[in-house]
Amino acid sequence: MLSYFVKMKGITQSPPAVGLSEVAWSWVGAFLGIAAVAYINDFVLAGTGLIIVVGSFGSSAVLIYGAVKSPLAQPRNLIGGHLISALIGVASYQMLATHLWLAAAIGVATSIALMHMTKTLHPPAGATALIAIIGDKKIHDLGYMYVIMPIGAGVLVMLLIALLVNNIPKTRRYPEYWF
Amino acid sequence: MAQKKQPGQEIGFPIELDLSDQDVYQAMKSLPGYLDITPNDFKEIYRLAHCRALDRITHSVKAKDIMTTRVVSVNRDTSLADVADKMARHGISGVPVVEPDGQVAGVISEKDFIAAMNMPGVKTCMGVISEWLKRRTCLIDQMLSRTAGDIMTSPAIVVPGETSLAELVQILADKAINRVPVVDADGCLVGLVSRADVMRFSFLRRVC
Repeated sequence: MLSYFVKMKGITQSPPAVGLSEVAWSWVGAFLGIAAVAYINDFVLAGTGLIIVVGSFGSSAVLIYGAVKSPLAQPRNLIGGHLISALIGVASYQMLATHLWLAAAIGVATSIALMHMTKTLHPPAGATALIAIIGDKKIHDLGYMYVIMPIGAGVLVMLLIALLVNNIPKTRRYPEYWF
Repeated sequence: MAQKKQPGQEIGFPIELDLSDQDVYQAMKSLPGYLDITPNDFKEIYRLAHCRALDRITHSVKAKDIMTTRVVSVNRDTSLADVADKMARHGISGVPVVEPDGQVAGVISEKDFIAAMNMPGVKTCMGVISEWLKRRTCLIDQMLSRTAGDIMTSPAIVVPGETSLAELVQILADKAINRVPVVDADGCLVGLVSRADVMRFSFLRRVC
């Protein structure tokens, strides 16, 4: 019983802070990545009723521009995680629309389970599933289109920017692996 | 090696590296980019990988790689005087006893000689000297007429050439012996691995 509480003390120190150049490149990558999807969303897709940016892209940006070595940030996880979770999110909403709280819980939990099983764990994708369920009418009206646009297309744009920007500095490379 | 039988220590030598949290922290710091592991994660991974590496190396080296092939051996009917002379001349503390067809019949070590002197409680060379000084008697009369076959330890513990270094260490330690004859598929002597041969192969240096 005591050992249970002792675990709450923690056992190690926090990892070191990164250098200034890492901070700068994270900023540049995130700026360009989010700028790309947001610009397309506001100007290219204006009036079409389509969107290409959702909230979970902000957290994907943290990983793919800020923690480029992390397994969680690799293309397999970025693409796979978002697509799987988007699909689960839409399915949960459509099956349980009358019990949103339950749809939300099942959608996020199932997404995590499937991402684990497919080795595509990507934390922001949990938000992708949740947005499909608790999002506004515009999102709900997309139906399964949500998986392709905004999620699929948006993720590809962000990935492209990550490939272009993260390989500029000598001290960075992306990805560590594709599949 | 008081704490034997912990995970990863079954091969019986210390494997813990004295890697401090600070070492890991500084190493992580010297790498550009954010690593999403804690220093402790790294230590855990390193410890397990290190165990595996030791295990792999100690299993990839075989008895046939480190054995002495020019083995000094005697026959069953070699007189003890000749056996002792041979051991003394070659500076060794034990020899295998082989049959005419090359099979290993047994092993003779200093311990067997001491045991053959039939002195209760005497187990070491110094014990023999002490006894001899105290009694001022000759202890060797009864040995003169005997041969290797009379006093050898038999059957001998032998190993095939494919035995791994890890297993050799285990056998030498568990059986408390100093050498083990290496035999081929027919049980014929092809070499000998002594503790010195095992020591000489300083596998730990290769890891670090």
